[in-house]
Amino acid sequence: MYWCEGGAVRSSVPRPSVPGRAHAQPRARALALRGCGPGAFPLPLPFPLPFPLPARPGRAEAAAAAFPFPQPPPFPSRRGRRRLRCRRAAAERSSTMSAARPGAAGAERELPPVPSTSRTSFAELSVRQRMRDKLKAARIKAEITLSQEDPSPQPRLLKGIRERKAGVRLDKTSDNDKFREMPEGESHLPSKVKFRDSVKKLKQKSTFQNDLPSEEEAYNFFTFNFDAVPEKIKVGARKKNGLNEEEEVGEECVETHEDEQEEDEMDEDVRLVKDDDLFIGQTDEDLLVMKPVDWESYTEQLKREKEFLFVPSMSAVPTSEKMPSNVQPRYLEDEGLYTGERPFVSQSNQNILENRILRQDQGKEWFGDDGKILALPNPIKQPPTRPPIFSLEEGIAPELETVYRKAIKMTSTNQYFVGPGDFQGLFQLDIDISGLIFTHHPCFSREHVLAAKLAQLYDQYLARKQKNLTKLLTDKLHALRSAVQYSIEGGGGDGVPVAQQSIPEYKMEIRQTRRLRDAEQEKDRTLLKTIIKVWKQIKSLRDFQRFTNTPMKLYLRKEEVDQKSDEKAYEAEIQAEIKELLEECMEEYEKKMEEYKTELQDWKSWKKAQKSKKKKKKKDTHVDEESEDYEFGEERVKPIPPKMASTLEIEQQVREKADNCRRKPGEPILVPELTLSGNVTPTEQCPRAEVVRREDVKKRSAFIKVLFNSKEVSRTVTRPISSDFRVHFGQIFNLQIINWPESLKLQIYETTGISSTTLLAEAFLPVPETAVLTGSAPLEEIEFSSDQRVMLDHEGVGSGVSFSFEADGSNKLTLMTSGKVSSSVSWAVGEKGIPLIPQVSQQSTGVPSTLKNIDAIASIGTSGLTDMKKLAKWAAEAKLDPNDPNNAALMQLIMITTSGEAHVPDFFRLEQLQQEFNFVSDEEFNRSKRFRLLQLRNQEVAEFRNYKQVPLHEREISEKIFQDYEKRMQERDVIDSKNYLDAHRAVVANYLQKVRESVINRFLIAKHHFVLSDLVNEEEIPSLGILGLGLFKLAEPKRPLRPRRKERKKVTAQNLSDGDIKLLVNIVRAYDIPVRKPVMSKLQQPSKSSRAFKEMFAASPSAQSSPNSPDWALNQVLVRPFVEVSFQRTVCRTTTAEGPSPCWNEELELPFKAPNGDYSTHSLQSVKDEVFINVFDEVLHDAVEDDRERGSGIHTHIERHWLGCVKIPFTTIYFQARIDGTFKVNIPPVLLGYSKEKNMGMERGYDSVRNLSEGSYITLFITIEPQLIPGESVREKFDSQEDEKLLQAAEKYEAECTSKFPSRQCLTTVIDLDGKTVFITRYIKPLNPPQELLDAVPDRSQTAAELVARYVALIPFLPDSVSFAGICDLWSTSDQFLYLLAGDEEEHAVLLCNYFLGMGKKAWLIIGNAIPEGPTAYVLTLEQSQYVIWNPSTGCFYGQYDTFCPLQNVYCLISSDNIWFNLQEYDSPGRINFDVSKPKHWKPFFSRSLPFPGLRSIQPEELTYEHSDKAAALELQSRIEKILKDKIMEWRPTRPTRWNRYCTSTLRSFLPLLEQNQGKDVEDDHQAELQKQLGDYRVSGFPIHMPYSEVRPLIEAVHSTRVHTIDVSNVEFALAVYVHAYPQNVLSVWIYVASLVQNR
Amino acid sequence: MAELHLFGQIEGGSGFPQRRLFCKWGLHAGAAWTLLAGAGAGQTQLDDPQVDDVAHWGHPLDMHLATKGLQGWPRLLLEVWHVDGWGRPGLAGYGVCHVPSAPGCHRVTCVTWRPRGTRAQRLLGTGGPQLRVPEVTAAGAGDRFRLSTESAGTVTLELGVVTRNMGRYGVALG
Repeated sequence: MYWCEGGAVRSSVPRPSVPGRAHAQPRARALALRGCGPGAFPLPLPFPLPFPLPARPGRAEAAAAAFPFPQPPPFPSRRGRRRLRCRRAAAERSSTMSAARPGAAGAERELPPVPSTSRTSFAELSVRQRMRDKLKAARIKAEITLSQEDPSPQPRLLKGIRERKAGVRLDKTSDNDKFREMPEGESHLPSKVKFRDSVKKLKQKSTFQNDLPSEEEAYNFFTFNFDAVPEKIKVGARKKNGLNEEEEVGEECVETHEDEQEEDEMDEDVRLVKDDDLFIGQTDEDLLVMKPVDWESYTEQLKREKEFLFVPSMSAVPTSEKMPSNVQPRYLEDEGLYTGERPFVSQSNQNILENRILRQDQGKEWFGDDGKILALPNPIKQPPTRPPIFSLEEGIAPELETVYRKAIKMTSTNQYFVGPGDFQGLFQLDIDISGLIFTHHPCFSREHVLAAKLAQLYDQYLARKQKNLTKLLTDKLHALRSAVQYSIEGGGGDGVPVAQQSIPEYKMEIRQTRRLRDAEQEKDRTLLKTIIKVWKQIKSLRDFQRFTNTPMKLYLRKEEVDQKSDEKAYEAEIQAEIKELLEECMEEYEKKMEEYKTELQDWKSWKKAQKSKKKKKKKDTHVDEESEDYEFGEERVKPIPPKMASTLEIEQQVREKADNCRRKPGEPILVPELTLSGNVTPTEQCPRAEVVRREDVKKRSAFIKVLFNSKEVSRTVTRPISSDFRVHFGQIFNLQIINWPESLKLQIYETTGISSTTLLAEAFLPVPETAVLTGSAPLEEIEFSSDQRVMLDHEGVGSGVSFSFEADGSNKLTLMTSGKVSSSVSWAVGEKGIPLIPQVSQQSTGVPSTLKNIDAIASIGTSGLTDMKKLAKWAAEAKLDPNDPNNAALMQLIMITTSGEAHVPDFFRLEQLQQEFNFVSDEEFNRSKRFRLLQLRNQEVAEFRNYKQVPLHEREISEKIFQDYEKRMQERDVIDSKNYLDAHRAVVANYLQKVRESVINRFLIAKHHFVLSDLVNEEEIPSLGILGLGLFKLAEPKRPLRPRRKERKKVTAQNLSDGDIKLLVNIVRAYDIPVRKPVMSKLQQPSKSSRAFKEMFAASPSAQSSPNSPDWALNQVLVRPFVEVSFQRTVCRTTTAEGPSPCWNEELELPFKAPNGDYSTHSLQSVKDEVFINVFDEVLHDAVEDDRERGSGIHTHIERHWLGCVKIPFTTIYFQARIDGTFKVNIPPVLLGYSKEKNMGMERGYDSVRNLSEGSYITLFITIEPQLIPGESVREKFDSQEDEKLLQAAEKYEAECTSKFPSRQCLTTVIDLDGKTVFITRYIKPLNPPQELLDAVPDRSQTAAELVARYVALIPFLPDSVSFAGICDLWSTSDQFLYLLAGDEEEHAVLLCNYFLGMGKKAWLIIGNAIPEGPTAYVLTLEQSQYVIWNPSTGCFYGQYDTFCPLQNVYCLISSDNIWFNLQEYDSPGRINFDVSKPKHWKPFFSRSLPFPGLRSIQPEELTYEHSDKAAALELQSRIEKILKDKIMEWRPTRPTRWNRYCTSTLRSFLPLLEQNQGKDVEDDHQAELQKQLGDYRVSGFPIHMPYSEVRPLIEAVHSTRVHTIDVSNVEFALAVYVHAYPQNVLSVWIYVASLVQNR
Repeated sequence: MAELHLFGQIEGGSGFPQRRLFCKWGLHAGAAWTLLAGAGAGQTQLDDPQVDDVAHWGHPLDMHLATKGLQGWPRLLLEVWHVDGWGRPGLAGYGVCHVPSAPGCHRVTCVTWRPRGTRAQRLLGTGGPQLRVPEVTAAGAGDRFRLSTESAGTVTLELGVVTRNMGRYGVALG
């Protein structure tokens, strides 16, 4: 049966509302839940009820028993469907019923709308919605039908329902409250009753049946399947169902399930009965029962409530109850602990609370030790959080203050960089210069001198008097004495051990104090004596000269003393002293006595032993007398017993001393008083000399300049010097500044007469502390003195001139002008009392980040907290509660200050709790290698600047990574002489390193400044002209036979990697390669072809002596040269060509690797590698041992002989982009086995020009592929001490020049080693060359010049573009240069130019362009109307028209007083006119419109040279030799290296000769000599000459010659080193390397 | 030793009454924080928007911080400036924005304010009152209510936060 089926389903559906119903949830809950929407599920009793509820009616219990467990339905969707079915069925049922009993609708409404409604899901909702719509339609229909059917009861019914509805609604809102008051049953009684009445009326129920439904009925009800109702009934139902139906479903839909529960049982009963009625046929009346209103009287209610309510009493609870028994209350506050203030609670409330808590279990836990309820301190702040603001202006915290800034257009240099300096505005420094007092002045008369002395002494006296040390010490002495006295007396009775112990200490103290007092007394007395003496001198002087110059007068006030008491005190003092001394003596005596006794004992025992020995010896017959003698010599002296000092002696001593340093008893106390009340003799009465002096003084006046950061900012008015040599200014200068001052200086000037002004002295003012503010700063006297020598022809004593007061001129005095400026410097106070003090450190741009200044105090900054002492003082005075956590920050400070006032640290931490919350300790944090690496990389520390990737894990970073860095940090000041072999050079290298670092650091910052072109790459739009030109070019005839080098595209160095860059070296040809000499048996003595200096500059090339040797024609092969290029240890070579003028025309390609794989501009600029271009001769030796084999095979042995080399630094190539030209090959002065072929007769004519110069030449073209863009120099403005006008003029001049000739460099200002801009002419100044050099050559002419040039060239070359990577040139002065012994072209050129000027030549500095150096500086001299160009870094010189002069372009000439810019069309030296007097050719800097202002040179007056240290040179020589020999052996690891000692010594003897001749013209003699001595050997070798800087370049040079590569089995080597020392530690190093192969 | 990477960009500013704006910025953090790499302060370029009133800066931020503790979580202090037709810079607004604590990409909008001058000062145009110590805006000064200010525009930032080892010290960010 389908009923059963439905029943089964139903029974499984839970009724979650049941438990809730048991407690009769108020309707308000239902309302609330209704709002919750679908899915809201009323949980059973979410909170306990405050009141016990009345017993439930039995009905409810039964229902609860029927559905005890709330159980979630298994499938919501099914449930929904099922419910739908139910509802439909219910509707049908009701419709069927309503036909019979229309009044049943009220009950029908109560039909349980299936328990799961409360869990309405979304699906259900939509279903419901549909249902509702349907019902709506049905309702309207039904209404119509009803109104038609039964018009009479309907309005009533309707009204009734409406009423009820309203009632229900009303209930819903109000019954919540009602429930609180009354039992549930009564709560909605009125409405229910009313409702029931209406129901009754409508249904006219019989009342006989009021039985409850049986269990069976209930079961049936719930197990019916309503689904089975046929469709047709539904239709009928739709038609017929009345208001009830509609009402019911509508309500059900809107209200949740709980609604239903709120209905009282009666409703349920009705429904149940009705349901039953449907089947069983009972009437409603059967189920209803009338009950009286369930009401309790109020008193009863109270009574009942009393049972379960507890009302705590308001009486105070005794403490004993609150505390655990046997515990006494503790009051923490009394114990000194911080408790804080509790919030206020009224006593009665507190009592109630306590009473209540005590009733609880463990109620006592709520009470603290003091018997009060535990409570936190009052969290409520006393003052309101936001105090009323009466005026916006008042009381703004200083840091929050706003400043009005006018909009100002920024200067172009720092446009829009709104630095913090702009915020803080101008700061102000007040300098108060009140006056000037001369303590000595040239115009002082003798009397003045004495008066000044007297004044000084008097000042001293006053100062001493104020301190009154004597009195202090005397008092101390007395106190100590009485203490001793007391302790001795007291000690006798009581025997206080402490006091006894301290007696000796006291005595020590007494002695000490006495000594001090005596000294002080003596000083006092001598001072007084001197004062009197000087005063007497003044008096006698005044008498002598019969006039008075000074108003000084000394009064000696006598203070009479009581003779007797004074004598008594004096005597007592002496007695006390005598006593003490006696005691002292006694002690000493005792001590000595003790010593004496022990010594005596010793002596006696020794004596005894001696005697016994002697006896023994006598017995043994005298064995040896020597030993006896010896013993006798050792015999001890018998100790002398010490003497006791006599009392008399001591007394005498004491008295003597007292006489000396103490006032005699009864003698009046003398108090000197200095007054200025004397009369100065009027001028008319003075002698002539004095009158002149006074007039001179009158003429003089003084003023003071104030210099801020070495710039004059203001000066005082000029005030005459008064007759007492005081000048009063009384001026206050307000300096408005932006930055923290570096220096404050006063310059004291004196003017004599009208015009002449002399600088007397400078006095530095200390920059005031931040606490020194205007108003509180005291005037201070700053002493100054000058070393000027002034002699005057009148009474004035002058300065720096010795004079005497004595008649005989003895006892001479020399005084310097000196004096005191009284002034004060302080910080001004702003409007609101804020001191206008700049912050010491300021950041450049951006919002300053606190990460940098981590110190809390520092970030607070200006606001008065910097004065820690004051803060500490305040903190000490404030008496803060030490336990209040609010004061914790300050307590730390107080702790520090109370522990010792002396050292308050500069800061204290605001975040003192920070440490407790840290993840890791600071140490651990600092230990992190990763962080360190990251930070170092970020700081661009040299070692890590281009570190690519930092590992992610700590463990992946090796410890070694910091080793180099740490070593460098440690060794910053430790000088490592190992690498330098020479202490001085080590020091210099260190110094250079430091300069370099500081400069680099400075520039690293500047490097991060970008300009627009760095960031925005904008291609220029081709203008019409350019386009036209391009078009024109298209039409140009092509000339394939004349190729042009195309401009290559430049590549920025950022995205390059290893292997991308190649160095292309195109070796074109060479001229004049030395040729082999035939191995001659006979010694040919070639004619010495020395050319004189003059000859070189002779206009006509002199005919060369041409030794037309007969072998020349016979030798088939003169030389077989090839070129080897080595760069970064990569070696490439050309093929072998033949002849002395070979032509290779080969291109060699060498890879380039940047250090650390970093191809940034910065890194490329600092590449130190050089390109070595070595010329070798390939020698083929017949290796056939046997003549018999000669026919059958060729066995040759290839040897290479080094002929010379050209070195080009990579940086030059990098900056030049390409190097194209003919270079002189650096050929050693002696090439064994080779001769320079000078016979050019066979060659073509143009060579006649070339053979003017000696040496071989090679034509090269070097470039980098792809072309790199060289870095630009830093655009940074530097500080300068130059005049602003001069700098502006320089800028203008440079701009003018470059606009005319953009390619020509115009140099007016350079940067010195301190990074300051200096005008270039200041570097040029005649300087003396070392005297030794000048002495070496008798005629001080050309040879001397050559020697000097050589000396300059011997100073090692250090390009500063390497050291100061790509930044700019730093020019050092000549003395710095000589001290550093390293510099680049500019320094060499400046020094050489200065030397030439010093030698009386006309010399200029040339700024120009040369190959291979690029932009450089040369020196130009005028020799006999010929211009000579000197290369300062090689010492070579060239005539103006020399073809092979490396100088290619001349831009500027610089002398000591002017700069000339080349305005000529051409700039190569051969084509220009060097006559600077022609303004058409040379544009001068200083001209008539801007005359030379007489700039002082920054060079020293004179250079001093250390004498050459021959011994050190010798030592160095042997060390270098050893190192090089070791190296050569190291380079030949597989073969034995034999050293030919004989040859070595021969070579060594040659080297000094070479040095003497500067490597010229010794070749042939030398060769002959060598040939003679080593006839059997085939020697190939050469001397290398280098300036000495360090060992590494020497090794490099030897290595590059490849002497060690010779691969003959019986080869021997010879190596000799000679170091020649020149003054100032300039060393010239010669290395002679040779390989010897024995001739068979 | 937890680490924090902060990167992204200051995208731009909008809603300012003035055009031609640039922005200065600085990172502020507690004493426990260390800036390992990257710039901690800077300034954007000046943008003169032609179309609307949004100044686009697109200024990159890239910082790597290490920290010993959580106190003083980093903040960015922004100062927006404008430049008038005569090339005179004036303050347009101060703003502070906390660096988001959750790892990931964030769009942060930072509202700005500026001190309101007297009527006369406002009439004068570009110049205006500025804080004597602009850092206090980041420090969260308590007395700021005394200042009379007006709201300025907003600055939008795009911030990426990557944390490292925070979990090791029991810090869960999300």
